[in-house]
Amino acid sequence: MDARTIIESLTGKFPEAVSEAGIDSQVRIRAYVDREKAKEVCQYLKDSLQFDHLCSVCGVDYPQRNELEAVYHIASFEHPVVLMLKARLPRDSPEIESVVPVYWNANWYERETYELFGIFFRNHPNLKALVLPEDMIGEWPLRKDYEGFPNRTARNLV
Amino acid sequence: MEEMLEPNEMIIHLGPQHPMQPGPFRLNLKLKGETIMDAEVEMGYIHKGIEKILENRTYLQGITIVDRICYLVALTNEECYVGCVEKLLDLEPPERAQYIRVIVEELSRLQSHLLGLGEYGEFIGFVSMFMYTIKEREDILTLIDMVTGARITHSYLRFGGVRADLPDGFKEKAIPILNNLKKAINDYEEMFNSDTIYRERTIGIGVLSADDAKSLGVSGPVLRATGVPYDIRKVEPYLVYKDLDFKVCTETAGDCFARVQVRLNEMRESIHIIEQCLDMIPNGPIFPEGTPYGRRTPVMRVPAGEVFHRVEDPRGEMGMYMVSDGSDKPYRVKVKGPYYPTLQALPPLIIGTTVADMVSIAGSMDGCTSEVDR
Repeated sequence: MDARTIIESLTGKFPEAVSEAGIDSQVRIRAYVDREKAKEVCQYLKDSLQFDHLCSVCGVDYPQRNELEAVYHIASFEHPVVLMLKARLPRDSPEIESVVPVYWNANWYERETYELFGIFFRNHPNLKALVLPEDMIGEWPLRKDYEGFPNRTARNLV
Repeated sequence: MEEMLEPNEMIIHLGPQHPMQPGPFRLNLKLKGETIMDAEVEMGYIHKGIEKILENRTYLQGITIVDRICYLVALTNEECYVGCVEKLLDLEPPERAQYIRVIVEELSRLQSHLLGLGEYGEFIGFVSMFMYTIKEREDILTLIDMVTGARITHSYLRFGGVRADLPDGFKEKAIPILNNLKKAINDYEEMFNSDTIYRERTIGIGVLSADDAKSLGVSGPVLRATGVPYDIRKVEPYLVYKDLDFKVCTETAGDCFARVQVRLNEMRESIHIIEQCLDMIPNGPIFPEGTPYGRRTPVMRVPAGEVFHRVEDPRGEMGMYMVSDGSDKPYRVKVKGPYYPTLQALPPLIIGTTVADMVSIAGSMDGCTSEVDR
C-alpha cells in the first residue's frame, strides 16, 4: 500500500473530518483531523488501512494561534508509511476523545500528554499523572507559557 | 489497583530500587499466594524533562542533552536527533561519515546487548554471566573510546558528519576484538543452552504471541522473538544500511529464551555489519563539502518545518518528532523511546505468573528506565 492510495482512501472515507492531507515523502504522510472524529478515523485506519502500530502521541503548544495540537504518529507492520495525524484543540478547553480502545498502547502516551500539556482525553481508562508528581497537575510544564526554572523555584523559596 | 483485598491477598511494592530493575520504577503487585493477580507500574523517579531542556538549547547543544536520555545507547539517540535536523536542513553526510556512524552505532548495539545479557544472567541467578559479558563489553567500549573519546556519553555525531575521523590503526585494533567476541558469543550461547536452571527459568516463560506483541506495540528483540521481522534498518533504511548485507534475526517461540537468542544472533549480525563497513569504507571528507557545516558550526538556524525520524535502537524502534520554527532552537522535540511501550506491556504479561517468573520476564525485556522517564 503506498502513500497516495492511503491518502485517497482516507479523504474519500472522511471528506469532512480529514483536511489538509498531504504527502511529504514516500513514507511520510500527514493530515489534520476533526477532534470529534479522531477515534473513528483511527478505527478506520486500523481496520482498513493496516495502520496497526501507534508510534507516539504528543502535544505541541502554539500560543500565537491560541491552539494546542495533539499529534499522533501511526505506523504499520505491513507497509513502511507513517501517518502524522493532528487535531487542533482550543487552548482554553483542550479535549479530545481517547484512542485507547483502538490502540492499546496509547494509554501511557495520552497520560503523559495530559500531564505535560493539559490535553484532556475523554473516556481514558486511567487518566492520571505518569512521570510528574500528582501535585504538578495543572501546571502543564511543556506549554510555552510555563515559567519554570528559575522563577518558580525562587518564588517557592521565599 | 483495588483497595479492597480478599483474604490471602497482599500488595507488594517492588522497587523503586530492586536488583531486577534497569532503573528506578515501582511495580505494585497484588499477590495471592505467589501468583500475581494485578500489577501496576509507577514511573517518574528519574524524569529529567529532556524535552523541555531541548527547547531551551541550541541545536548543537542538544546533541549533548540527547546523550543523557539513555547512556547505554547514546549514539543511537544522537543518530535519531541528528537525523531529524539533517532532514530539516536537507543535508546528507558524505559516505565516509555514514560508514563511521554505522560502525560506532553497531559497536554501541554490541555493548548494549552484552550488558543486557550479563544483567539478565544476574537476575535469574547466573551471576557469573555478568562477569563474562562485562569483560567483552570493556573491549568494545575501548574501541568506541578510541573513536569518540568517551566511553558512554560521546557527543560524537554532528550535523552532516561526525566530530572526528577514525583514528589510525582502528581497523587493526578492531578485527581481533571482534574475532574474540565471535568466539565469546558462541561460548555464551553454549553456556545458556547447557544450563538446566537457565532453561527451566526461561523456556515457556513470558510467552508473547505475534498478534499480542503487535497490539501491545512492543518493538525490537521482544517483537522479533515472536517471529515478526520488523527492523527499522530494513523497513526504513537510514545511513548506508541499504548497501549492507545483514538479516533480521527472528525466533518463533516468543518466550524469554527466544528474546535472549535474538540478541545473541543480532550481535553476530552487528559484527558482520562492522566487518563489511571496515572493508567498504571509502576515503574522503567527513563533512559535506561546500556547506558551512563542520566540526564547529557556530550559530545555526534550521528552516521551519516538522519531521519524524526513526532509527533502530538496540531495544527497538526509536523515533523523534521535531518541530522547527526557523530559529536556532527546536520548537518542540518529542522523544519516543523504544522501551516505553515495552514497559507498558509488562503488567499484562506478568499477570497470572509468579513473582520469581516476573523477575525473569522483566529482565528479558532488557530495559532502560532513564529513557522511559526522559
